[in-house]
Amino acid sequence: MFDDVRVAIARRDIASLSREKTIVLALAIQIFIAAFSSFLVVGLTSLYDPGSVESGELTFGVSGDARDELDEAARSAGVGTEHYPTREAALDAFRRGEVVGVFHAESVDRRTSVTVTVPDSSVQSTLAVVKAQDALEALERDERTRRATHLETQPVPLPPEADASSYFGFTYTVLVPLLLFLPPFISGSVTVDVLTEEIERGTLELLRVAPVSLTDIFDGKALGMAILAPAQALLWIALLVVNGITVTNVLPLLALVSAVALLVVVLGAVLGLLLAQRRQAQLLYSIIALGLFGLAALLPEHPATVAAKLAVGSETTVSTATVLGLSVLAVVLYAAARSYVGTIDPERY
Amino acid sequence: MRPRKILRIGRWEVTKNAGGIDRKTAAVVGATLLVLGAAVPLVLAQGGVTLDEGFYRVGVAEESPLYPVVEDDPTFAVRDSDAELGSAIDLQIDGTQVVASDTQKGQAALAELRGSVDSYNDRVMAGESNQSAAFPVTVTLEYAERNRTIAPADGGDGTTGDGATGGGAGDQGGSDDGGGDGTTGDGGDGSDGGTTGGTTDGGAGGDGATGGGSSGDIGSIARGLTGSDAMTGTPSDISPPFPFQSLILAFLFVIPLNFVIQAYGSTMLSERLNRRGELMLVAPVSRWDIIAGKTLPYFLGAMVFEGAIAGAIIALEPGSGSGAYALLAVVPLVLLFLAATFLGAMFARSFKELTFVTVSITVGLTTYAFVPAIFTDVTPIALVSPLTIVVRDIQGVAIEPLEMAISTVPPLFTATLFFVLGAGLYREEDMFTQRSIPLKVLDSLAGRIRRRRSVALVVVLLMPLVILAELVAVAAVYPISMALPRELWLGLILLAIVVIEEVAKSLPAYAGFVHNRYDRTVRSALTVGALAGLGFFVAEKGLLIVQLLGGLPEVQQAAVVSAGPTAGISPMVALVLLLAPLALHVVTAATSAVGMRSGRQGYAVGLTAAIAIHFVYNFAVVMLVV
Repeated sequence: MFDDVRVAIARRDIASLSREKTIVLALAIQIFIAAFSSFLVVGLTSLYDPGSVESGELTFGVSGDARDELDEAARSAGVGTEHYPTREAALDAFRRGEVVGVFHAESVDRRTSVTVTVPDSSVQSTLAVVKAQDALEALERDERTRRATHLETQPVPLPPEADASSYFGFTYTVLVPLLLFLPPFISGSVTVDVLTEEIERGTLELLRVAPVSLTDIFDGKALGMAILAPAQALLWIALLVVNGITVTNVLPLLALVSAVALLVVVLGAVLGLLLAQRRQAQLLYSIIALGLFGLAALLPEHPATVAAKLAVGSETTVSTATVLGLSVLAVVLYAAARSYVGTIDPERY
Repeated sequence: MRPRKILRIGRWEVTKNAGGIDRKTAAVVGATLLVLGAAVPLVLAQGGVTLDEGFYRVGVAEESPLYPVVEDDPTFAVRDSDAELGSAIDLQIDGTQVVASDTQKGQAALAELRGSVDSYNDRVMAGESNQSAAFPVTVTLEYAERNRTIAPADGGDGTTGDGATGGGAGDQGGSDDGGGDGTTGDGGDGSDGGTTGGTTDGGAGGDGATGGGSSGDIGSIARGLTGSDAMTGTPSDISPPFPFQSLILAFLFVIPLNFVIQAYGSTMLSERLNRRGELMLVAPVSRWDIIAGKTLPYFLGAMVFEGAIAGAIIALEPGSGSGAYALLAVVPLVLLFLAATFLGAMFARSFKELTFVTVSITVGLTTYAFVPAIFTDVTPIALVSPLTIVVRDIQGVAIEPLEMAISTVPPLFTATLFFVLGAGLYREEDMFTQRSIPLKVLDSLAGRIRRRRSVALVVVLLMPLVILAELVAVAAVYPISMALPRELWLGLILLAIVVIEEVAKSLPAYAGFVHNRYDRTVRSALTVGALAGLGFFVAEKGLLIVQLLGGLPEVQQAAVVSAGPTAGISPMVALVLLLAPLALHVVTAATSAVGMRSGRQGYAVGLTAAIAIHFVYNFAVVMLVV
């Protein structure tokens, strides 16, 4: 159990955050992002998967000698078609805006050659291309089946169509890890601040006059910041749940966030005490923290993947082991940092 | 401002302050970067970061024809086919029969499996000896403009207009060019390499890969960039014209800024610790010399980064433009980042606060720069962000001077404004004392208020912030608007605009009252209010002229719709319609000014009344006009 001094220091730091209303600012950003999350998700998902912007049925004009096969495939893919005798007629209809695009299908050299014309204006062309691709892939499957006797291996049959939200994967694999790992990153950064500020302002000396050791100060500062991150993560999870995104394994997720927070807080604190100046310490902190996040790809499961899997409920023994391993590592490094702080001569600042 | 002094202060900043990054830190930074750089190949060798590895659990027996599909896609974790559907697995495959659990996740897994089967089949078919049976369909994708003479099927002038890229590609037959771009080679013999490229892409487009997918995508950057050209290939090779790669590249321009503002914010705030900045303040230099001198090294440093990035992109991207536009468009963005950080450092009371301010600036400005740029090819409102120009330049699209102006002038003005406001706080009373934020806001405004008419000037100065806030508000409402009834979203946009405008008009006057620059009489309040309204009216009419000259994109006109209708009305009516907004602004500004005489609560009441009047007026006008 922590004795009063450290709790007092931690409480003082958190209280100063709320008094300065900076934490309010942070929470306001959080709520703002949550409020706009639907906007962000739609925007980012269309970046991730342009076909996800759904629309009603699009109708394409069809011409050429292979148009019957194409017509059949298009219908199975949910794309409307309209027959035209010639390509010119179809293109005329396209120019008049009666159809969204034109397929001209011909049999050439034992293959079906399709020329697709889509509008140049971009919202429509994106949708049109996505729809056209659906239809053409269906045509390709049909044609392959027709030519099955000429194939050595048979294509794998396609599973039934699913009624899935295209945001699902994105939400769990990108959004959830992003939101969960942002608070620890900021916590570490603020740890650098609280230590270097005391040093640069010269108030560390005042604190030293009080009956506390440097280790107590380190404990208090680190504790305050390491608690903040899981609390914020919990708020994120709550906001996600309000937005209709189910998050499972909340406790392991919080353990993961706490472990990561403690790790980066230790990093920030050590850098702050080592360099004693905010600019250097912050620069190094961001580089190292981001670098470590990248390096974590060498682990059997990246912490972000672990977060995604825990949140969606696909956790494996490796995920649990990662959470445990990170927690143990965080505690060990914390203890190591603590003993390092014990060796620092406070007079150096 | 005297250049010699600025340069000297800049030199001090580099040698004494940035040079203050001592050898030890420099060595540690160098070592860290070296270790990280050395680790990059290792990470890449691991297949990069695949966030969705083992995301869906599939119960499948080895005999099933679907087994290799599931095994090949890292998104799936192979489980025992007898496991319980729903709790232990999301998909159950029995032979060729697929059953999904009755959850969102099950459905998502099924959709993912469909995509995987498609790309798996393509991979298997690539190994077939009879290629015309394996890939029986070849596709040529062409883009054509509607309501114009269409380019004939074979050749012609290819694609022009706003969505098109690479004018050069259109010179020859469009389809020839697409083939040459290396999507599939030519079907028969080259299909091996081609199809793998195609399927990787299919995965990324489908919704499979994130990190892994995009790293795999780098090989096909050229195709992504020339996405709007005609393409030839198998059905899975065609991809929608989406500026994915250009966006990623444009994002590169924003990343270094976040590091630069961190150092810049630290140095600015450290001036305020222990009265360090006092020495500079008493030196025979103006505060603008100090600010410019301390900012210059960071600006130049950031531009060196951006120049290097632009140079690298130009060198690596065959289809891109000159890069000059990209670099030019980045200047306001760099200045905006620096100016916002400067203002933040002037407002922040501690390092902690500065960190939160820096994070807000990073989040806010990155969102402002990046999210509209996603819609580069979709809507002209994307021009709100200078990154849109960068994306277009990377795509090799010609950029009109007007588009350049729409993208860059507002952030440039805003950056100037932030520097002006921050400079208002660059004085002893605000730098070295702990004042509350609202008081500092008023201080920064009051720094420019000396007599009655200066309130009009400050209101004009605030205009860039008003435009930017309005454009961002419109941009934020726009995507939501598609789902809402017309009256509701129109009202939402109008309300946002009205609130922004009224606050901008009344805040400088309020600062004047708080600083006792104005008498608290009704007459004085009316004069000040009228002047603020007049200032706003003049600035807004300036916008209207821009609108008339340039023909802003349609949605942006919504932002300036309160400026009154534009054409096709008789002169008399036009005059009335021109003067009506003047009356409106004067009345509303005077309303809040009269209220604010009696302090904060009075200000709140006056402002609310002004907002109500303004909203009713705007709503009525819009309903009449639309």
